[in-house]
Amino acid sequence: MLEQLQKLRQHLLTGVSYAIPFIACGGLLIATAIALAPMTPSGPDFSHAPRLQLISDIGSASFALMLPVLAGYISYSIAGKPGLVPGFLGGYLSGQVKAGFLGAILIGLVAGYIVEALKKIPVSKYLRPVMPILVIPITSGAIIGVLMLKVIGVPIALFMDHANRALAFMSTGNGVVLALILGAMIAFDMGGPVNKTAFFFGAAMISQGNYRIMGACAAAICTPPLGMGLATLIRKKLWSVEEQEAGLAAIAMGLIGITEGAIPFAAADPIRVIPSIIAGSAVAAAIAMAGGVGDHAPHGGPIVFFAVDHRFAYVFAIVAGTLLTALLIVLLKLRSNGFAEVEEDPA
Amino acid sequence: MKIVAVTACPTGIAHTYMAAARLEKTAKNFGHEIKVETQGAMGIENKLTESDIRQAQIAIFAVDIEVEGKERFHGVKVIQVPLQDALKNPEGIFSKIQR
Repeated sequence: MLEQLQKLRQHLLTGVSYAIPFIACGGLLIATAIALAPMTPSGPDFSHAPRLQLISDIGSASFALMLPVLAGYISYSIAGKPGLVPGFLGGYLSGQVKAGFLGAILIGLVAGYIVEALKKIPVSKYLRPVMPILVIPITSGAIIGVLMLKVIGVPIALFMDHANRALAFMSTGNGVVLALILGAMIAFDMGGPVNKTAFFFGAAMISQGNYRIMGACAAAICTPPLGMGLATLIRKKLWSVEEQEAGLAAIAMGLIGITEGAIPFAAADPIRVIPSIIAGSAVAAAIAMAGGVGDHAPHGGPIVFFAVDHRFAYVFAIVAGTLLTALLIVLLKLRSNGFAEVEEDPA
Repeated sequence: MKIVAVTACPTGIAHTYMAAARLEKTAKNFGHEIKVETQGAMGIENKLTESDIRQAQIAIFAVDIEVEGKERFHGVKVIQVPLQDALKNPEGIFSKIQR
């Protein structure tokens, strides 16, 4: 059972890994076009700016391709090459019926498992060559098409619509609670599966036109390495020479939004480090959410500064989270001083 | 022992390369010869050749996503571990191999 779940996770993450660059391309191009166009009450006005319209159109195309790529590579991960046709078809149709990324993820999984089943059907060796080029693509494609267009597409689209509206009109209180959870998830395993779940939720919401979820994640992403790095600077004596070096590297990684920079510290001393970085990230995410921070790029940290709305709140959120993490870890280390100093950093 | 390895994580910008570095360092400590292929956001780097794989006694997959070109490893003993293992406890992987 556990192994099955791990496999499932691996398939989903494979799809995600191929989809992320499409979100980056789409999100940043659209954000650039919107930022440079004159803003009107009904949204940005592209009527006198054909070049910006062009940039925005290219970004939209990248978003539109994200769904087939996501579903296609989830299916590919399960069933190999023959999984691509029904996966891409299902993802494309998911966009057409407005079932979004949720529809794409589901149909990608279904497509992969259908192809796996079709591959197992015993056929005579004379028929075998036509299986991958005719029978499997046509059969699986037809099944997936009918499923998406006639069965699961519409209910998922309705659900997505509700969820989007609920998230868009979320009260500040609920939003902050959601941000606290997402921030804690981002820090919990520093780039592992829990982190990626929160991150992909934020990234996928960008393609749904909601930038605030990613805004909260973006602030949380950088505070673990920044906070640990800061901690090595303000209390040098608490850290080994190796850890002080790792601290500088962590600051560099934090600046470019790579949570993994905190891993050497967490690996050496998980019981004190992980709670400190969770607290910092959760607070950073909550402040970002409350301050209306939106992030148009599926990435975090100071490096996405120009893709962010409400930049002052964003900077404030990062500074607050970083300080909190640094102070917590220094206090925890001081309290148990003695053996903390002799611990070696394995990296 | 001659070892080949593949590392891959979903984002492919940090974990993949950190794990590769840890595996290389640990293999050296254990006195093994290792070549690590990274399948990150830049695609496949330090690609394992056919002869690399044929000469290896064992292949390590430290991955959170599907390995690209899995069929290349037919006929080689493969052990697959979550990428986190290569980061947190690379020694554990190698002592498992030796048994």
